[in-house]
Amino acid sequence: MNYGKQPDYMAILKIDDDERKGRLAFFELTEEDFQRLRALKPFADRWTHEITEGLYELLMGQPESRVFFPDDATLSHVKKMQNSYFLGLFSANFDLGYVRDRLRVGATHERIGMPPKLYLGAYHRYLHLIHMKLVEHFNGNETEATKALSSIRKIIFFDMALAIDTYIAAYLETMTRHQAAIRELSTPVIKVHDRILLLPIVGTVDTQRAHQIMETVLLQVVEQQAKVMILDIAGVPVVDTKVADHILKTTAAVQLLGSQTILTGISASVARTVVQLGVEITRMHTRAKLSEGIELALSIVGKRITSKTSHGGEEVRP
Amino acid sequence: MTSGPIPILKIGSTLLATIQIELHDTIVDSFQNDALEEIERTGANGLIIDISALETVDSYVARMLANTAKMAKLMGAGTVIVGMRPAVAATLVRMGYFMDGIQTALSLEEGLELQASRLKSNTE
Amino acid sequence: MTALSPSLGLRSDNETWMIRIDKEADIVAVRQRVRELAKDQRFDQFAVAAITTAASELSRNVWVHAEAGMARISLLRNGRKVGLELEFEDQGPGIANLNRALAGGFSTAKSLGLGLSGTKRLVDEFEIDTEVGRGTRIVVRKWKKDF
Repeated sequence: MNYGKQPDYMAILKIDDDERKGRLAFFELTEEDFQRLRALKPFADRWTHEITEGLYELLMGQPESRVFFPDDATLSHVKKMQNSYFLGLFSANFDLGYVRDRLRVGATHERIGMPPKLYLGAYHRYLHLIHMKLVEHFNGNETEATKALSSIRKIIFFDMALAIDTYIAAYLETMTRHQAAIRELSTPVIKVHDRILLLPIVGTVDTQRAHQIMETVLLQVVEQQAKVMILDIAGVPVVDTKVADHILKTTAAVQLLGSQTILTGISASVARTVVQLGVEITRMHTRAKLSEGIELALSIVGKRITSKTSHGGEEVRP
Repeated sequence: MTSGPIPILKIGSTLLATIQIELHDTIVDSFQNDALEEIERTGANGLIIDISALETVDSYVARMLANTAKMAKLMGAGTVIVGMRPAVAATLVRMGYFMDGIQTALSLEEGLELQASRLKSNTE
Repeated sequence: MTALSPSLGLRSDNETWMIRIDKEADIVAVRQRVRELAKDQRFDQFAVAAITTAASELSRNVWVHAEAGMARISLLRNGRKVGLELEFEDQGPGIANLNRALAGGFSTAKSLGLGLSGTKRLVDEFEIDTEVGRGTRIVVRKWKKDF
């Protein structure tokens, strides 16, 4: 079995000792339950194998769950882990180590792709099997069996809650990574030349996107130590006062870092709108075409584009 | 070299002050004092203030930096603020503080280059 | 004083910090507490800077204008959303022309020494209750971006 490096779910879920105690209280686990569970240790030792077999009978009997146990080695390993899980319920030592262990179990199941419905269905079978064996254990005394089952059920629900939390935490981490990737793709900062960056802004710019653009621009300018940042807005459909303001703010922030901005891709209508609206964009360089912006950027860093003249032949007209 | 809470070094004819502590009244006062006295003592014609360690620059600090630059200017030293963090720049402009008139540079190196070229153009 | 709208979110008792503001060093204390909390809750660096700066501005206002006051910093939870709430209260002179103090242009820094319009732009929610001669109470909240 491959146990790669798992995220630290205890940290992600912020489960400290207070949280642990809160959960135990919410599932109404008392000292009485702990004592009862400890007293049931002999019961656990006696029946663990049969209960485990009963559980895997269900899991192997369903095609959907069978796929998780492809060979004998996996199956026997998993049954061994299941036995020690069962025995752990009766150690009645539900400290942070126990919690960490349960989180690891949940995380493993999530990682191998076992859907919650199977996970919870298995737990349901588990409780049913335990109940039956308890009745046998207490020689038909339903009252005693019920009391015992009640304590066991509490701790099993406690465990299930932890497992479900790891599923949710895992999905959230995935979504966070995806969002970060989407953000990166929608704000592609390109290194045009040494210390010259270019960000083509395509699509509508709402407040949230504007914030994100400013942040990406500033981070990149510092990381790349860029002297010039070219913002091309040819792909922005509407440039109103709000958008113009966002652009102004980004430019001002870049200036605060000690860098310069060149705004390119200004269409005739944008030029008209901006002046008519009275937006002050005199503090930054502006050009109609991106190519002109690149030329300006190069001159700022002390370079320029020249035409090549071929040796021994015609001159290339510039 | 000064003995105040903010160290001020001399690099050529420029002074370099590195701010690495939380700023408040007394520190600001002694910093401005130290900086100006150093300019006078060493005849420095440039002051670079490195704020790369500052996570927070509020309007008070922004004003302090601007004032320090004005004071230094009166004594013939141009100021460059270097190392501003992205989050600091974003916060300042979002508040509406664009700090016009303050020279900034991406790094100490750039700041020194800026001082050098300014001196050159001043003497041409 | 007009009633403030109730804030969203649940505030548990052990996640509120109170800091008295009656000397300049207290501004630093408030700032550090807020910064630490924001980082603990994994706010991104821009959000940390924003809320920390807002805390600095608002506590400085209390000290400069009222010389004494209280800062109340709370962690908020609303479902999965996590937020920080800062409350500043003083029995200072109050703000005479609130509308002017809050008016913000788009890109100019015309603060009337209070920096309220600028600070407002750093947070998600901003509530103010002030009366000349009675004092001022400001509550701001910043929510952590989901993704």
